Formats: sequence, structure tokens, C-alpha cells
Amino acid sequence: MAVPAAVELVDLALKATSAYQRPDLGSRLQHTRRRLADPDVRVLVVGEFKQGKSQLVNALVNAPVCPVDDDIATAVPTVVKHAETTSVTLVRESSPDTPPERTEVPVARLAEYVSEAGNPGNRAMLTYAEVGLPRKLLAGGLVLVDTPGVGGLGSAHGAATMSALPSADAVLLVSDAAQEYTGPELEFLDAAMKLCPNVACVITKTDLYPHWRRIMELDRGHLRHAGIDTEIFPVSSMLRLHAAKTQDPDLMDESGFRELVNFLLCKVVAQSDDLDRRSTSQDVLAVAEQLASGMKAELAIQENPERLDVLVGELTRAKARADELRERSSRWQVTLNDGTADLQSDIDYDLRDRLRSIGREAEQLIDDADPDKVWEQFSEWFHQQVSSAASANFVWAAERARWLAERVAEHFAEGADIALPELRFDERGIAGTVDALERPRTEKLGAGEKALSGMRGGYMGGLMFLMPLSLIPGVGLAAPIVAGGAALLLGRKQLKDDMKRSLQRRQSDAKTAVRKHIDEVTFQVGKDSRDMLRRTQRQLRDHFGTLAEEVSTSLAGSVAAAQSAVKTTTSERERRIRDLKAELARIGGLSDRARALLATTTAHAAVRSGKSL
Amino acid sequence: MNQPGHPAPPLGSVVRLLLRRTIETYHDSPQAVAWMQHNLDRFDEPLRVAIAGKVKAGKSTLLNALVGEEIAPTDAGECTRVVTWYTDAQVPRVTMYPRAAPARQLTISRNAGALAFDLQGVPVEEVDRLEVQWPSQSLRTQTLIDTPGIASLSKDTSARAGAFLAPEDSPSQADAVVYLMRHLHATDVRFLESFYDQGVARATPINTIAVLSRADEIGVGRLDALSSARRIARRYRADEKIRGLCQTVVAVAGLLAQTGRTMRQNEFTALTALAGMPRADLDAMLLSVDRFSRTDLGSATDVPGSDTRARLMERFGLFGVRLSTTLIRQGMTDPGTIATELVKRSGLDELRAVLATQFSERRDLLKARSALLAVDLVLSREPRPSAAPLVAEVERILAGAHEFAELRLLSTLRSGAVKLPTDAVAEAERLLGGEGGSAAARLGLEPEADHGQLRAAALDAVARWQRRAESPMSGRTVSDVARLVVRSCEGVLAALGGGRY
Repeated sequence: MAVPAAVELVDLALKATSAYQRPDLGSRLQHTRRRLADPDVRVLVVGEFKQGKSQLVNALVNAPVCPVDDDIATAVPTVVKHAETTSVTLVRESSPDTPPERTEVPVARLAEYVSEAGNPGNRAMLTYAEVGLPRKLLAGGLVLVDTPGVGGLGSAHGAATMSALPSADAVLLVSDAAQEYTGPELEFLDAAMKLCPNVACVITKTDLYPHWRRIMELDRGHLRHAGIDTEIFPVSSMLRLHAAKTQDPDLMDESGFRELVNFLLCKVVAQSDDLDRRSTSQDVLAVAEQLASGMKAELAIQENPERLDVLVGELTRAKARADELRERSSRWQVTLNDGTADLQSDIDYDLRDRLRSIGREAEQLIDDADPDKVWEQFSEWFHQQVSSAASANFVWAAERARWLAERVAEHFAEGADIALPELRFDERGIAGTVDALERPRTEKLGAGEKALSGMRGGYMGGLMFLMPLSLIPGVGLAAPIVAGGAALLLGRKQLKDDMKRSLQRRQSDAKTAVRKHIDEVTFQVGKDSRDMLRRTQRQLRDHFGTLAEEVSTSLAGSVAAAQSAVKTTTSERERRIRDLKAELARIGGLSDRARALLATTTAHAAVRSGKSL
Repeated sequence: MNQPGHPAPPLGSVVRLLLRRTIETYHDSPQAVAWMQHNLDRFDEPLRVAIAGKVKAGKSTLLNALVGEEIAPTDAGECTRVVTWYTDAQVPRVTMYPRAAPARQLTISRNAGALAFDLQGVPVEEVDRLEVQWPSQSLRTQTLIDTPGIASLSKDTSARAGAFLAPEDSPSQADAVVYLMRHLHATDVRFLESFYDQGVARATPINTIAVLSRADEIGVGRLDALSSARRIARRYRADEKIRGLCQTVVAVAGLLAQTGRTMRQNEFTALTALAGMPRADLDAMLLSVDRFSRTDLGSATDVPGSDTRARLMERFGLFGVRLSTTLIRQGMTDPGTIATELVKRSGLDELRAVLATQFSERRDLLKARSALLAVDLVLSREPRPSAAPLVAEVERILAGAHEFAELRLLSTLRSGAVKLPTDAVAEAERLLGGEGGSAAARLGLEPEADHGQLRAAALDAVARWQRRAESPMSGRTVSDVARLVVRSCEGVLAALGGGRY
């Protein structure tokens, strides 16, 4: 959320930088301002399908925005955000280079585009649908993203969901009260905890299941056992919608939504606000300090001209240090470069290692069976293994990159409090696509083959991680049934005995195909993760480089100011001291406001928790 | 193929003979003899139907509903952890078969109506199976097998279910499988695939029925929830990929069915009292399970107290309470009628009908299939020159028995590989026994149809498909299909008696 006080403060500081002719400092503030202008706090609503995700979003905004059906599932992510009037926009991102294509459609027709009924397997290739709603809950910048459910979070689109996590401000894992957590759900939670600052579990449909408390306790036990520390919110979307209709406060209490909304506003939005305040305050304080440093140096000389040499000496030494920070030789540069190189080789090794063991297992499987008979089941298994390996590798890379940024900051400031750049991995992420595992050619193609290749179009074949700008990918997420369907067709292929002769050849062909595919994945994913690291490295280098430059410029200014100060006459000196003190007081005021902004972070949240809905 | 005019000997006796011959050939291998003897005995046992599905799909509840008694323990958390067989017997008895120890009898205790088993301290992973012998009409024709859930958090439990239903090295112990699912997940599809027959009947979903379980919850307990669930089941049924995996899909509200078959007088009294409350009050209470059990109704003595209501909710579910109070309000005042209505609406009757047509009527075929798989295992494990005629015999039965040919053709038709008009495919499937093996089911007539009607319809079908088989416009595949269909119709005619034409 754009904190108005923060924006105001940045504007004021910007004015000061132009008044004191320090455009270099101005550009950093401009950047801060741009960041503040993007008020979105993204909350991903994820879970296996038919758990009540869409209904949860509807209940949160008290409007039937996401289509809910007993049978038909959501096919396209729906982004619900604040707007003055209700509107629906369909967004199609074809490639990272061209601007996304946006189409407005009437509100009533949303269901035709986002549900499996109107848009099976997302045939329309929509990236997401955006719904604008005039709601107080969303006015704070809260953006709810209803995602298509995944049939087994370990599947290929489970991996895609995973790669969208770092760009989310919070994740709600939705699971209904019918049963305790399943293995895939817990695995997903575990990975989500590593990638996203706020993860919460929502248990839905508590109105329907008498034993929801038992289920919640069981879930809590599972979470504890897995070492996952998150809150659990039992809710009933039905009760909340009913409560909103009848204005019944008791029902509202029972629905459990008060707590969930509190969590979203006080923890997720407030935390994002806090982050905004903290970073703005830090930026403005740093700018104020640098603006003041020249004047402070001059003031010191004006008051004690005899200490000129000492002061200039100190300043020059400080400047030399700042220059050195800018140079290649300084420690943070070494840390950064070495760290990046280490990281690159570690991640590369990790990926290769994971893929190699999959490859070994795959060859074993091929040895044990006739690849032609089991091919579809096999290739599905194989793709799933490969994509989960790639996403695990990605999670790990993101974690390590963040750790590296902290190390660099430590070395850069040698203990001082230095702002960390906001590392965003969502700019392009892992966007590589790899062709589907190629089926080795056999001399006989069954009748099912044709249908099969048709099915592949829907399944998209192979590994595909796409992270369109900070959104969950909606690319042709085929329904699980479709993905499974291809396997069925081939499973029934009947093979003639005369084909046994070439079994060995088929096995060796299959192995070649597996090796080729692994090679390609290693190459493509490896390149993508190297690119991501390189971008991270550049981001870090530019961030700290600019910081060093600013300090150096300020110190150079201070030296010059100090040196020129000696030349002034006594009367001028008196006046100059007065002026400087007044200017410094003004800058001091700026710092005070920045500090005050920092002080409001937690206090503010406490006030707001009182009035939640 | 058999000569026209000479009806083929029944498949069952052919396979029994094969089993005996195999025992003779392998008389010197105690292991093989024991295995074959076991399968010969199995041939005469009731059909073994396993109930499988993911965790919490409602397997035990459905089993109780089918038996009509609360014998399988059920719970909100994961409950069944050991494969449990339920067979008919004169006297109730529970036997535990540990893996590495002799079988022992367990004491039977009842816990609030349901049976409770105490494993006497034996860890679940060391128990091979439990066998519950229970006097019950419903178990007389089929042995029901309750299995632990697939995709359980406890990997061992899942593995036990997998090892039982789709063992890696031997044919499954179950003749048929009822697969329960809440919605069709990718894991469900994978599991259904694993029932695929690799050997004998070659890729037929003949022995699998899918059940959309907990049907009342799919429509979040609304009064129309079950029609919604039936609609979904219909969609799945029409889906080509799912048709290739199972015979059919039926929606069943297991809890409703179980409660309907075991409803007690005091429950009926409580429901009647509730139905007598002002409508608005009851509706407000029925908004959520918590409201229903916890609302304080003051000291009024004629309405059931909080504890009673909580128990009602557990037995009926939100949907069940909504439905039964509505029924009472509409004038049903007899517990028996309500119970019957609940069972009818739950979809259990439909499931039982499907079980009867798909499994019981095909009993011999399913048993023969299991037995052939068993023989095949012995022949491939212990090959010997003297067994060569047996191998040929297995091949002959598979290729020659029209029952298996029908199965193979059914699965080919369902895969959509044959180019025929849609209604012709539907008719062919029906004639091949896709909707049941009885003459009426095959001919698409009501079960009460008389002999003359059946005969006329069969003759009509023969003529129609004969034309298709001989038409120069039909391709080779279509001709082959048509010829097999004609053969099925002739089978029906032969069974009806009275000469061929």
C-alpha cells in the first residue's frame, strides 16, 4: 500500500536534493518513489482443486467474482484488486518483449473465460483475468489471486505455482475440512515457507464438517511434525456470505473470517507497509545525512578555523575509503564476485546431480519394462520428476541468492545499517521451455498415436516454467484429467508379439531419448538460472556501487566546502554559521520526519487491528 | 472359435479343468501346487470385491452401507490402516494374520455402535490382514475388502494399499475393485491405471467401478447436492478417458446410505422433534454444523439436547439432517419409509444394481480371469517342457473364449479407435455386455421383457449387425467388430433357446 506519509516525505527530500544540487541523490529517491507508487500487496490463494479457493476469494470480497461450481474448476488465475468501478479485464501475455494484450469484457461473462467449462484447459491462452472491485478491504492495495487448483502439487503446474511464490507477498494454502493434509500439501507448504514471507493455512467449509476441529488439530500436528510454523484459519465462506447478507455479527464471528481478514490487513498489508516505511525512512535518512555532511564540515571549520588541517585530513581519508569501496579491489566486490561464482557452480552442480539421479532411475525403469508399453506413464512420471527437480533447484537458488546479498551488505558497510536492495526474481525468472520428451520411433504406430499427439498440445509437453510479471502462470494449464488422459490412450495400446524382437532396440532408443532430454533440460534450466544469477549480481553491484558513489561525492563536497570556508572574513563567517545552522536544522527536520515514519510502523498496525472489517 | 450349433462349454468349467491340469503337471512343486489349490478354492468362493481409494474417500463408510451394519470402524482422521476382509459366516469372529506369526483370534468389542479391533500390541506394519467373519446376507455373494487409503501421509499405509491392490510380482488378491474418489485427481487416474491388466484380459477395465463418494459434500450439503453429484458422475461416464479406466461411474453419498441402512428409532424421534420446530429456527440452526449442535434451545424438553444433536450430525451429516427433516415435514412419518428414502437418494441402490450387473453377473468371467492370471504366474515362474500344452491351453482360452473377445472389443470400442456412428458404438457396447450380461440388458429391454420380445430384439440385432459385417462399405475393422457383435447376439439367442433362427 502506498503510505501517504512516506510519499510526502520522499517528495520533500527530492526537493531538498535539487535545492542543494545533488541530482545523484535525487535519482535514488526517484527510484524509491516509483516503488511506493506500486501499491499492490499480492496474496496467492493456492491449493489442490475443489477445495473452495474461488469461494474463499468471493467471501473475502463479498461478491461472486470467481465462478464457483460443484464440478467445473477454475482454469485461469483471477486477480481481484481495488478499482473505483467493477470491471473485468482479460490479459494475454504472449512474450516478455511485447506488452500484454488487454481486453475488457462485461462482468457477467467472466465465467466463460476463467472456468474449465468455457475455456477448457485454457484454450484461449489467457495469462490471467483481472477483476476490479470497489471494496474497502482491497483499498489498502490488497490483491487476491485465485489460482487454478492443481491435481497433485508435485505436478508440472505445481512447479509453475512454486516459481510464482517469490513474487507474492503472502500465500494462503486452502484445504477443506474433509480431511487432514496430504503429503503433497505439506511438501508445498515447506517450499512456500522458504520462498514467501507470509504463509498461512486456511481450512475451508467448516460449516459442513462436524469434525473440523479434529481435522485442524491433526493438521496442526502434521505442521509441527514437519517443523512448519504458520497460522491456521478455519473459515466458512458460506457463513461469511450469509452473514454479509443478513448483517448478523454472530454469524460473522462463527465464519472465522474476522481472523483471516485481520491477518491479511494487519500482518500482510501492514508488513508490506512497514517495509515501505522502513525503506523510505532509511533512504531519506541516508540522503539527509549526505546532504548535511558538507555543511557540517563547513560549519566545523567556520567555528574552529584552526582545525582545518585535521578535518580536511579526516575527510580526505574518508573519501579515499569511499573511493576504494567503489573500486574493484574492495572486499564487498570480492565477496560478490566470489559468491556469485560459487553460487553458480553450486546450483549447477545441484541441478546436474538431481537430474542425473532421475536419469539413472529412468534408465532402470526402461530396462525393467518394454518402453513402448509403458511410455506414456513413464514420460508423465519423468516430466514430473524433472519439473520438481528444477523447481527444487530454483527454490534453493533463490534462498542462496538472498543470503549472498546479506553477506555483501555486511562487508560493504562493515556493520553499519545498510539498505538491502529488494531482490526480485520475478522479472524474468526461469522462462525456458524445453521440448517434450521425444518418443522413440517404433515401426508400428497404433491408432491411439494420433489422438495422443493431439493430447500433447493440451498438456504442453515437457517442462515449462513461466513467470509472467509477478503473476502465477496461466499458460495452458491442462486439467489433470487431460494430462492423465494421454496416458490412458497408450496404456491400452496392444502390441503384437512380433515386436518383441526389437525390444532391446526400443530400450536403447528410449534411453537415448531420456539422455537427450536431460541434456536439454540441464542446458536450458542451467542457462536460465545462470542468467538469473547474473541479473542478481548486476542488481547487487549497481546498488552498492551507486551507494559508494554517493558517499564519495558527498565527501568530496565536504572537503571542498571545508577548504573554501577558511577564505571567508569574520563578518561573513558569522552570517555563514547562522545560515549553515538554519540549513542543518531544516535537514535535521527531514531526518526527524524520517525517524518518525519508522516509529509508526508497529504502532500503526496495532491501531488498525481494532477495526478490521 | 466354436462350430455353430455347438454351444461352447462354460468358461468356468474350462478354467477349472485348466487349474487341475496345472496341479497335475506341477505335482512335484509344493509351492506351485499350494498356489494352484488356493486358486481352485478361490474359484468357488464368493467374488472378492476390494474397496479402494485415497485417504478419507469414505471407503469404510461405503462398506458399512453395503453390508447394512456398522462393522468397519470409521473416524474423522485416517482410520483404516490394515487390509481388512469381511466375509460371511455363521458366527462373528475376527482373525488377525500377522506376517511372521500364526493367525490369532481377536476379541470383538463395540464402540458406540461400530466394531473396534484391538491388535493386541502388534504394530500395524507387521499385520498382513484382518479377517472379519460376520453373519450377513450382503456378504454372501461377495467378500468385501477394505483397504487403507492411497496418498496417505503415512507412506507405509499407502504402500500397504498399493501392495495389496496392485502387487508387483503376483496377480491381485481381489477379483474386482470399487474405486472411490471425491473428485478425479491425477493420483486417482494413476491408481486406476495400475489396475490395468497386463496379462490375461489385456487392458480391460472390466473389473473396476468408480464411485464418486461423499456425494452429499460435493454440493456442499445443499438439498440438490445429490443431483449435482449425479450430473458430475454422468459427465465422467461420458468422458472417453475415464471410460477406458472403469466400467462406469456412480455417485453415492456413503454416510447417508450407511445411516439410512442402520437408522435407529431414537434418531427418528429426535429428527421428528426437530422437524416440528418453527422452520426459520431450524433453518438458522442448519446453517452450520456448529450451530446445529451448539445452539442453546433452553430447557424445552421436547427438542433434543445438544449432545443428541451432535450425535445426529455425526451420523447423518448436514445434508442428511436437512434432507430427513424436510422429508418428515413433507409428511413421512414412518421411520422405515424415511430410511428407505435416504438409501434411495444416497445412490446406494444404483451402486448395488451396478455391482450386480457388472460384477455378480460376470462372476465366472472375473473368477476365470483371476485364475488364468494365477496359472500364468506359475507357468512363467517355473517354466518346464511338460507345461507346454498348458501354455497353449491358456492361449487357446484367451483367444477362443468369446467372453474375453467381448471384453477386448469393449475396451477397443471405448477407446474410440473404431470408426462407427456414435449410436452404433453405444449399441455395440450394450450388445457386448457393457451394461450387464443378461439378455435384457444386452438388448436394451426392460428386465421384465418376455421371451418373445427378447427373441425378436435379438433376431433384429443379429440381422442388423450381419448387414454391417457384410456391407462392402464397411472397412475391415468395422466388419470384424460387427462379426463379434453378431456372435454375442447369437449367444443371447442360444441362451434363450428355441433354435437359432
